[in-house]
Amino acid sequence: MPDVAELEKTATQEIAGAGSSAQLKDLEIKYLGKNGLLTGLMKQIGALPAEERKTFGQTVNDSKGRLQSLLDTRLDALKLNEREVQYEQERIDVTMPGMPVRMGREHVLQQATNKIKDVFSGLGFQYMESPDVEEFRYNFEALNYPPDHPAMDDQDTFYVTDDLLLRTQGTAIQGRVYEKVQSGEMTLPIRVFTVARCYRNEAVDRTHGHTFHQVDAFMIDEGISMAHLKGTLGLFAKAMFGGEAKVRFRPDFFPFVEPGVDYAISSPKLFDGKWVELGGAGLIHPNILEHYGIDVERWSGFAFGLGVERIPMLAYGVDDLRNFMENDLRFLEQFHG
Amino acid sequence: MKVPYTMLLDFVDTALTAEQAGDLLTMAGFELEGIDNVQGEAVLDIKVMSNRGDGLSVLGLAREILAKDAGSKPRELYTRAASRFPSSATSGQIPVSIETTDCSRYACRLFTNLTGASSPTWLQERVTKAGMRPISLLVDLTNYVMLEVGQPLHAFDFDKLHGGRIIVRKAADGEKIVTLDGEERKLSPFMMMICDADHPVAVAGVMGGQETEVSGSTKKMLLESAHFLNTSVRKTRNALGLSTEASYRFERSVDPEGVVAAINRFTELFIQCKGGDADATITDVYPTPARRAAIRLRLDRASLLLGMHISQDEALRYLTNLGFGCEKVDDKTLSATPPTWRPDVVREEDLIEELGRVHGYDLIPSELPHGATTQGGTSGYERWEDKVRDRVVRLGFTQTISHTLRDASPLDDPGTEKIGPRGVSDPEMMWLRSSTLSSLADAARRNGGKSLQLFELGQVFGSHGGTPFERTSLGFLVQGATSPEWWQSKSPATASFFALKGVIQSLADETLTHIDFQIPEHGDARLHPTRQADIYAPCGRIGVIGQIDPDVAEKAGIPPDTLLAEIDLNTAYASAQTEVHVRQIGRNPAVRRDLAFLIDKSTPFEKIQAAVMDSAGELLEDHWLFDVYEGKGVPEGKHSLAIALQLRKFGANLTDDEANRVRESVVQALASLGATPR
Repeated sequence: MPDVAELEKTATQEIAGAGSSAQLKDLEIKYLGKNGLLTGLMKQIGALPAEERKTFGQTVNDSKGRLQSLLDTRLDALKLNEREVQYEQERIDVTMPGMPVRMGREHVLQQATNKIKDVFSGLGFQYMESPDVEEFRYNFEALNYPPDHPAMDDQDTFYVTDDLLLRTQGTAIQGRVYEKVQSGEMTLPIRVFTVARCYRNEAVDRTHGHTFHQVDAFMIDEGISMAHLKGTLGLFAKAMFGGEAKVRFRPDFFPFVEPGVDYAISSPKLFDGKWVELGGAGLIHPNILEHYGIDVERWSGFAFGLGVERIPMLAYGVDDLRNFMENDLRFLEQFHG
Repeated sequence: MKVPYTMLLDFVDTALTAEQAGDLLTMAGFELEGIDNVQGEAVLDIKVMSNRGDGLSVLGLAREILAKDAGSKPRELYTRAASRFPSSATSGQIPVSIETTDCSRYACRLFTNLTGASSPTWLQERVTKAGMRPISLLVDLTNYVMLEVGQPLHAFDFDKLHGGRIIVRKAADGEKIVTLDGEERKLSPFMMMICDADHPVAVAGVMGGQETEVSGSTKKMLLESAHFLNTSVRKTRNALGLSTEASYRFERSVDPEGVVAAINRFTELFIQCKGGDADATITDVYPTPARRAAIRLRLDRASLLLGMHISQDEALRYLTNLGFGCEKVDDKTLSATPPTWRPDVVREEDLIEELGRVHGYDLIPSELPHGATTQGGTSGYERWEDKVRDRVVRLGFTQTISHTLRDASPLDDPGTEKIGPRGVSDPEMMWLRSSTLSSLADAARRNGGKSLQLFELGQVFGSHGGTPFERTSLGFLVQGATSPEWWQSKSPATASFFALKGVIQSLADETLTHIDFQIPEHGDARLHPTRQADIYAPCGRIGVIGQIDPDVAEKAGIPPDTLLAEIDLNTAYASAQTEVHVRQIGRNPAVRRDLAFLIDKSTPFEKIQAAVMDSAGELLEDHWLFDVYEGKGVPEGKHSLAIALQLRKFGANLTDDEANRVRESVVQALASLGATPR
């Protein structure tokens, strides 16, 4: 009968002496593989007497099991060791700089505009646009400006021709919208807003520019009041700046609203608790609605304006308006709103 | 307007401090811009709305305080001012003729035996505190009374008025006048003048003439108090470039009924200051006295629009305090006649504003509108434009927003006739940009030396046969390394025509149905003649792409390796991709076959690509050019191209044979273009 114990002893010694997982793999094949030495002993089983066969088979299998378990344990230990070597060899300095990825970025005024669009859209206001080079009648006449109003002067407004000018206010869109109501293309009630580039012939300094951006929002429905204006502005301020905001009205004059106010907001957690004036507002002047055939006994509406530049100025403390249109990347790259 | 607080206290008996009075005026619409302390006294600086000329007087501001603050009471001076300073003067006979409808009233009074006395200290101090310079009793008093009641006055040296008469008329062509500031002014026929028998002696409502100015030696003074049309004064002031305290008030409208009252107030102060004698008569030419019609005011409507309840008694009190003639019509209606100093009030809503103002906007509650739900947000073109901008940002581009009003630029669109605002002399804002590329070039220069990927999306302008137009342009600028210098990238890729072309293609894949790039027919002079292409969509030519022309680059001050592209979004929208068409994806593995071949460099890749697509058939899922080589081993005039074919069959695995057959037919198709396999 072949000496299983002797073979197992030799194998055990060799396994203990193996220095790498590769050597172990070789040993596994040498003893336990299909043609391995131990496996080979099994082939001799036929030469044994019948009564010994069972015991012999048992002995070989037990031996195989012990060797396999020995191999596995040893392999685990060696692998651990080898990985440790590998890890050390593959060590990198993770403090080296990462790949600089160029990320696209919207301009800070675009970011403010996007937020404004989100807020108004959520309030059911439809976004519309009108041209920069606007007709005199939409910019002034349709908005109840009396003839010879000072705002129409050459030194305040840029004229391209007698009838065309560079829009001075986002409100210029209103006449165009009311025409759609008049023609039936749109039907009351309506809620509309726009974001418009506006131009005024002003000297440029930290807080004034000849070009700026303005939001104009307006709605017409039955029974719209100054209280609705106040409520909507409060909601708008909350959505824009966060936190509960109070709204304050102060009488002011704009030809296209009556009553006309300028509005300020304040919130305990914002703007050092101070009132911040945001723009003009009021009920849409009945002269305008009547001009477009809207029954002012049934319908009324409010309108309000807001300077887009005011938003980042308030939110981030930008104190020089000129920064916005100079496109210095050192300025622009700070905003990720 | 600067108002010494003690002047307000002359009119109003109040416990309010200057600050409190200022805040109260602010909430009435007369914004307190600041309080100065001048010689120990508070001086309020009040901003008056352009439609509230009546607020440019102590009387007018006193009226607002009295209307809003129940604790304040009118003093005797206020009561007399409200009743127009009654006087015993009789009707005078100075010859005055009004020859223009721009003047609705002209009154004057003669003052004689002038003593030449100077202003008493109190008057000098008040005039100084109000921001004016004390000059002489006559001048200081005209200013002071204007401050008190808002009516501009003018003093003429009567002996210098030719013919001792006044004619109010428009200037004759070629007439001139030397105004008080010593300037000779050429007059235009629309300008209203005060004239004596021979020539103009004052620009009506703006400034007097030097010739008839009062001085220490003046013996007789004619005091003018008149009512001039606001638009006429504005136009003249504007044309002469001459703004004065008088013109400022006339432009904002002055009370036609306060004309004589101002003379009366002047007279009492003049006598009090011992300036001389006042003639017993006042000449007053007032052809058509101002009339105001009553306006119906429904209290229900007032409460509805204001969003707060105002009772009839409150309404009656508020309006009466503001000088409106007011009476009850029925339980819910008032009839209100606006005073002559309130030309801004013409309809019911104006009255409602008055009620809201006095009652207090603070009391308006905060409510949200109820009623029909409306659909908000963007749609149509605007929504697509938002998508385009979003995709450009995703492609790694930084957005610039630039002035549309600007100077001329080497990158102006050569195919556009430019427009700009009239009469602007500043070259920096003379033109409306015709291309976003001019803005991007400016931005590149400002950020000079960096590698840049910029875009601008905005309006550009021009003119077609004299008719101005505007459209929305999307411009791109790329220069320098496409990815920043970094220790792991050995040779960072730099901007090239093809880098930008890839960006445009990716953008188009997301936003347009299809685009292709074509060799331009005419060429864009801003771009390198042999490195530019027109961009076409199914709707037609939508833009251009190319490397900047070296001469243009030099003029614009940016590097010659700058790449530019511009797309007209309004045109491109006609080919906008707004729908998604889903096609089945194959679940069997794809097979790749590469082929490399030599071909003449003059053969456009467009042709090679067409041959590949035609010959490969429907098994071709994708293909791409992965190598271009010329040099050693490649004959002069040829280059070696390597193209990968990605093949896939639906529902079955592709066999090697099938894939090889596709490759073979592509090789044969390319051979007909002169290609030889490598």
